[in-house]
Amino acid sequence: MRIAVCRPQVPFARGGAEIFTDDLVAELRERGHEADLVTVPFKWYPGERVLTQAFLWRLLDLEEAEGRRIDVVVATKFPSYCIRHPRKVVWLLHQFRQAYELDRTALGQFGESAQDRALRRAVQRLDGVALGEARKVFATSANVAERLERSTGIAAEVMPHPPQELAYRCEEYGDFVLSVGRLDRAKRIDLFIQAAVGRQLEAVIVGEGPDRERLESLANGRVRFVGRVSGSELADLYARCRAVYYAPVDEDFGMVPFEAFLAEKPVVTTTDAGGPLDVVRDRETGRVVEPTVEAISAALAIGEDEARTWGRAGKAIAERVTWDRAIDRLLAG
Amino acid sequence: MKVAYYSPLPPSTSGIADYSALLLPALSRRVEVETARRRRLRRAPQADVALYHVGNDPEEHGWIVAAARRRPGIVVLHDFVLHHLVAGLTLARGDAGAYLDALEREQGLAGRLLGYAVIDNRIPPLWETRPEAFPLVGEVLRLATGLIVHSHYVEDRARAAGFEGAIWRIPHPAWPTPEVEPGAVEGTPVFGCFGHLNESKRIPQLLTAFSRLRRTRPEASLLLVGRASRRLDNLELPEGVTREHHVSEERLWSLMAACDACISLREPTMGETSGSAIRALTLGKPLVVSDVGWFAELPQEAALKVAPDEREVDALHAALELLAGNDGLRQAMGKAARGLARGEHALEQVAERYAAALEEAAGGSAVQAAVLRDVAEAAADVGLNKTGDLARRLDEVGIGG
Repeated sequence: MRIAVCRPQVPFARGGAEIFTDDLVAELRERGHEADLVTVPFKWYPGERVLTQAFLWRLLDLEEAEGRRIDVVVATKFPSYCIRHPRKVVWLLHQFRQAYELDRTALGQFGESAQDRALRRAVQRLDGVALGEARKVFATSANVAERLERSTGIAAEVMPHPPQELAYRCEEYGDFVLSVGRLDRAKRIDLFIQAAVGRQLEAVIVGEGPDRERLESLANGRVRFVGRVSGSELADLYARCRAVYYAPVDEDFGMVPFEAFLAEKPVVTTTDAGGPLDVVRDRETGRVVEPTVEAISAALAIGEDEARTWGRAGKAIAERVTWDRAIDRLLAG
Repeated sequence: MKVAYYSPLPPSTSGIADYSALLLPALSRRVEVETARRRRLRRAPQADVALYHVGNDPEEHGWIVAAARRRPGIVVLHDFVLHHLVAGLTLARGDAGAYLDALEREQGLAGRLLGYAVIDNRIPPLWETRPEAFPLVGEVLRLATGLIVHSHYVEDRARAAGFEGAIWRIPHPAWPTPEVEPGAVEGTPVFGCFGHLNESKRIPQLLTAFSRLRRTRPEASLLLVGRASRRLDNLELPEGVTREHHVSEERLWSLMAACDACISLREPTMGETSGSAIRALTLGKPLVVSDVGWFAELPQEAALKVAPDEREVDALHAALELLAGNDGLRQAMGKAARGLARGEHALEQVAERYAAALEEAAGGSAVQAAVLRDVAEAAADVGLNKTGDLARRLDEVGIGG
């Protein structure tokens, strides 16, 4: 099949969505499909730019390329699913969350003016049309599927995607707890820093992002920031850590728990983390606690035996999520 | 974003006052709302959009129509047929000319002539005999920049009447399930008919059907609860019928909770919903309704439907018999009814849809203009001035003009 995988691109940014879509294209090719990635830059501010930029996708013609039909388009996140195609399948990473559950929070975008309120509604209406016309909608987590159904009435099948390919292994349950993720406020690395410092635990933070300066100032040298690391360095950190902290606010999916599990490491998360709660279960595959410094601090103190038991239970879950199964479902029907 | 909200409110006992009392707190959590005061029209609230609840009672809604004349806005069309309202605001206030004008606007010269015949007492009042044939909704539709309706029926009729603005179809909100003890009512099963008992509620037909049911089910009882129009107040009630006139809200819920099924008939319909039927759904009571208007759109899993034709009494009797003799059916319908109340009629969901409609109405045109300007400028920059394809694509995703 000829398959176009669609993803918006925020220039100079790279995160889970980019890894996922690159992997999807590679895995499709590996299975004999002719697959390619289609990206369009996306800037969602100021004001109506969120709509005009989304609208760019509507003008694209992906029905064929160089005179040959494109059989399927797989759209992933807002606004790539605005693309028109007779066989559009959406594997939804997330909608434009500022128009939904992040509205009127510190992470929101729309103000209280009549125009801002209407702009938010226009994004919702656009979602209803663009997602409603898809042949099939998959969501990467129950959290994403629930949000979608609540906001648009559209039902999605939950289908997590495998994490990036790394040399996952478990070498030891060392003395440090690892945090992996983009350094922005929604990931709540600040809670981790405060919890780890309070307990005098060694903490290692992988990732870059706009919140780094504030977080480094908060840590005041007591936590190790290693920035962006290579795949082999990341696999090495996973292999040696005791446990992994991952507690974003109402996260869509989150590959990190799957990566941690493949390295047989338990995950510490919070009751409001969203997607990770599909697989992180308290005292089965990690810890799920209230999003407070005190609760997280207590949860980070995981003994070696517990870490091993919970990490292995997590691995059994992560190993069931394979590209073979996902691609079969994606292209069925 | 601020909304000026025009509606009858308690202590008015109208159904629309109840509706607004239910909706307002949930809506106020989403948008800033200022309720307009009936006697302070000159000091109308400053707001981004005005919302007018329009129904048929001239006492309750006359001032709201007057406000809409000063400043058009979104109209919640609780009834499509507004003949009673218009007659009450014109003829009843001594302005026969305005009534005749309204008839002529809608029906041409024939309408005006019919109006003269009414005024001269040559024919019975049209609002009593055939209001549905003369809806007189034209002025309200002209004043509306958008409509909120409760049914496909009203939406379709508004479109057929030429309304071209935005229409949002938003279900009637359901009340939270009250914690009430079922009232002590004798009989098995107990049927109930609640609300203002007027000519369109098919009370004579219901009483005939119920009498037939009593022949085979002498234990069956029927509650008739609500104020009645003069003509109906003198009806002879068959055995097994208990009559209660005006009851408190608490008593109403309690009596309804005692019912095995509720009956909500209507013909002719003015396009209205029924607060009583919604309350019955809230309590998980199976419904028997007329197969007209909004009532016909209730899912059959929760409501048995009876066409108001020459076989109406037979069909009504059969429906009562079916419900009386089948516990399993009553339970299944009750479950479906409750699901409906907690689903599409859920208050929070309804309030969210109201907020969406009001926000779109208040700022939507500015958003569209800004998007169109951006797109048109980009096209013009590269010498493209005919942007029909762009406009079509914008329309597809609801951000066109």
